[in-house]
Amino acid sequence: MFKSRRTVLAGGALTVATFLGAVAGPRAQDVKVTDPRSVLMIVNRDSNDIGFMDLKTRKMVGRTFLGNNVNPHMVMMSPDGRYVVTGGTRANKAFVIDTRTLQLIKTIPVDLAPEHLAFSPDGRWYYQGNPDGDSISVIDMQSLTRIKTIPGFVEPLNVTFSPDGAKAYVGNYGAHWVGVIDVRRHELLKKIQVAAVPGVARLDPAKYLGEIKGINIAALSNDGRYLYTADSDLGVVGVIDTRDDRVIETIRVGLEPWRIYMSHDGRYGITANNGDETISIIDTRTNSVAATLEAGPDMTGVNFAGGKAFVISSSSGFVYVYDMGSLRPAGRIRVGVNVQLETATTDAADENIYLAESTNHEVVIINARTHAIERVRNVGLFPWGTHIMDSKDNYCH
Amino acid sequence: MMLCCLRRGASAGPIAAAWILLCWSVPAGAQTPAMPQMNMDHRGGIQGTVRDERGAAVEGATVTAVNAENGAQFAATTDAQGAYSFAALPPGEYDISIVSAAGVTTFRRTGVEAIVDRTAPLDITMNAATAAEAAEFERQQLVQRIATLEQRITELESGTVLSEPETRVRRIEVFVDPAGAVHDEPVPGAEPTITYQRERVYRRQTISEKIEEALEDAENRSVAVGVDAAMGTQFASRTRGDLEANRRAYALASADLFFTAGIAQNTIFFADIVGLSGSPPDAEIPSLTLLNGYTARLIRQNEINLREAWLRTELFGQRLALTAGRLDLTNYFDQNAFANDETTQFIGDALVNNQMLGLSSNGTGVAAEFDPKNGFRFKFGFQQSNNDATNLSDSLYTLSEAGYTLTPLALPEGTYRVWFRTDNTAQEAISKGVGLSVDQKLTNIVGVFARYGVQETELEPRDNFYSVGIGFQNGLIFSPQDRWGVGYAHIDLASGEKEHLAEGYYNFQLTERLRLSFHLTHVLDRLDTGTRFGYLLPGVRFQAAF
Repeated sequence: MFKSRRTVLAGGALTVATFLGAVAGPRAQDVKVTDPRSVLMIVNRDSNDIGFMDLKTRKMVGRTFLGNNVNPHMVMMSPDGRYVVTGGTRANKAFVIDTRTLQLIKTIPVDLAPEHLAFSPDGRWYYQGNPDGDSISVIDMQSLTRIKTIPGFVEPLNVTFSPDGAKAYVGNYGAHWVGVIDVRRHELLKKIQVAAVPGVARLDPAKYLGEIKGINIAALSNDGRYLYTADSDLGVVGVIDTRDDRVIETIRVGLEPWRIYMSHDGRYGITANNGDETISIIDTRTNSVAATLEAGPDMTGVNFAGGKAFVISSSSGFVYVYDMGSLRPAGRIRVGVNVQLETATTDAADENIYLAESTNHEVVIINARTHAIERVRNVGLFPWGTHIMDSKDNYCH
Repeated sequence: MMLCCLRRGASAGPIAAAWILLCWSVPAGAQTPAMPQMNMDHRGGIQGTVRDERGAAVEGATVTAVNAENGAQFAATTDAQGAYSFAALPPGEYDISIVSAAGVTTFRRTGVEAIVDRTAPLDITMNAATAAEAAEFERQQLVQRIATLEQRITELESGTVLSEPETRVRRIEVFVDPAGAVHDEPVPGAEPTITYQRERVYRRQTISEKIEEALEDAENRSVAVGVDAAMGTQFASRTRGDLEANRRAYALASADLFFTAGIAQNTIFFADIVGLSGSPPDAEIPSLTLLNGYTARLIRQNEINLREAWLRTELFGQRLALTAGRLDLTNYFDQNAFANDETTQFIGDALVNNQMLGLSSNGTGVAAEFDPKNGFRFKFGFQQSNNDATNLSDSLYTLSEAGYTLTPLALPEGTYRVWFRTDNTAQEAISKGVGLSVDQKLTNIVGVFARYGVQETELEPRDNFYSVGIGFQNGLIFSPQDRWGVGYAHIDLASGEKEHLAEGYYNFQLTERLRLSFHLTHVLDRLDTGTRFGYLLPGVRFQAAF
């Protein structure tokens, strides 16, 4: 009897210890990432996983498989660094990964073709855009459940939260307006027309009734007061005052601006104009175009580092460089021939750019100062984008 | 397993707590003991009476019991006292319902449990409240089924993909040892070799993605054809002198047919065949510069001309572009942003080209352009400038240019160029020319341009030319892609001939492919014969490019 009771007590103690351990966190040997800021996340579309690369050693730490034909699109880390999330475009699901163990811990059904996403500043809400579903899925990061699907959008691409987290702005690529979401109620509050379609549009049904290229994103100024949003078909950037959600300025830029990217100091915004293969540099102090410079075809992104802008020309294999002090061209970095460049992220120190190159399944690290490149191969199949916690250039295409 | 433990054996106290923890600690993948075999001989029952809202027994009502777990249905009919009985139901939870003769569910109760060897009582009173409750239950079920259906449709939509795995060919580096064995990684004695290899792409594409990709691929492989057709009508009203031409209309139709094809890595073929028909004002007005720039450097009109046909390739990291074939070198040099294109900007050649470039016709030649993408740009080219010459040495035209794009004095971008050219077409002396070309944006809307050029030969003194103007786009316009400008050009030849030309235009972009522009030109000329004349030329130009 005594022996039996002792066994039970020992077992109970062991169980309690295990339970407490589970509450405290994973076992030491299961932890693969101790500092969420130390890793680069890589979205691998064809291997259907998220790759994790150590920024210091530039070695792959692990890859989290999401499932067959998931086709992940954009990856992002929660503001507290606890989770990594991505939307699986072909799976219609959001995936939540534990940052420390790199284990897939939750799969959450969302709407059709989830792509771009954003976290509210407090990390409570994960808004997943569903372009084919014309909706935003709201995921509660406390319960890791989808609590609502907000309808009423038209091919929503990117979501931008206001600094206080009260509102979220949604770029609709299938329309010419920005949606404003009341985050408290998770409801579409308002639609802001960025610019009027010109009267001559009626003469040009081939352009205006064909494929629509509207608004990709509304990007915040550094002070959080204004939003800059490019409309591709209309060739303009609208400046929205977030106090009353009204367009206060419309700036004409080059043809077919894919989207606007804000410089880290907030002084400039750059639109990548794929229609005429130029970039327009907008001075945010005067809300006017400071320069329009030649660039390359099929631009997918702009990164800022070392006082320069690095413009990714997807199909040409080049990254075009511009001096942001003089607003002049500063050369061109040849990444490869017959390669496809995707998007890049900049490290928090603004020293290196991590560019996904999908043809050779590699990440190309560009030194912003010297323009030297280093390749990390075999990061996963068809890397589509990268992400670093606290980077100011976390975007997707 | 945990619940089973608690129900069957656990008692209150520390041991129970330990059991709870133990049950929690069982890994998810651990095996769960099989449940005890259910004895199917043991049955349970449900019985009761059915009454209406007045309390009267309902006879002949069919009471249905549906097993919530497996959907098995059982039915009983009430007797004269309204009694019904399910005597031998398999244990489990049941949905009990009554459906009226009209097919309306008048009562429903879920979760009625049939317990082994017991008979559960369930007396039913049918009234408006039970009917409403039953209706609400059915509504909820319907909503749930619709939601399930929607989810399935969603999955079906997203699953509409091509199941055949994608493949693509990649250029890869392998290492071949002396024995001919191929290694993926470097090994001693193996030489790096470039080869091509198919790889499987683990992505399923939607049908629309696949079609889009196929169309794009076909387009890349085919010869692209482009058309630029224009119709320019100008009216000439004499303002000075006594030349015969006065109050006359002129029309010139132009059609360019472009062919472009990619033929090698960074190498394309291009051909431009142009047909001109009609008469420009230059046929009757002997101005020093062409009043309709469409005819510049084209010898023959009212017939088909090969304007250009060349190969272009890019070398040294695509920094150096070489173009060779039949060229119009002025297309590659002095590309002023505000005054360089007779199809969308000014129509008078004096505001399209620097008149001191001195190129009279297109010809065979080469153009080289070095562009390091840092703002500097260097160009050099040569071509035959006399189509009657029997060798290149007798008609060699060379042109060099250095340009720089900068943003001076907090202004937007501007490009500043200087060029130098030689031409030995005139056998007796080599003609030389030098010029400047500037385009500078003042704002995103307004820009200015200026050109200056001078030419001389060993036998003749200098000819001078300059032009200045202003251009507007992105603002002060009717429609977003419209542009307009005003320019002035002056040419002063060593022979004493002079010309002053001013032109204003407004170009409407009606669609991406169609433009309409209005021009007003005034020209004053003094010829070496002493003849002076002036003309005012309003004009309209339709241009379609696709």
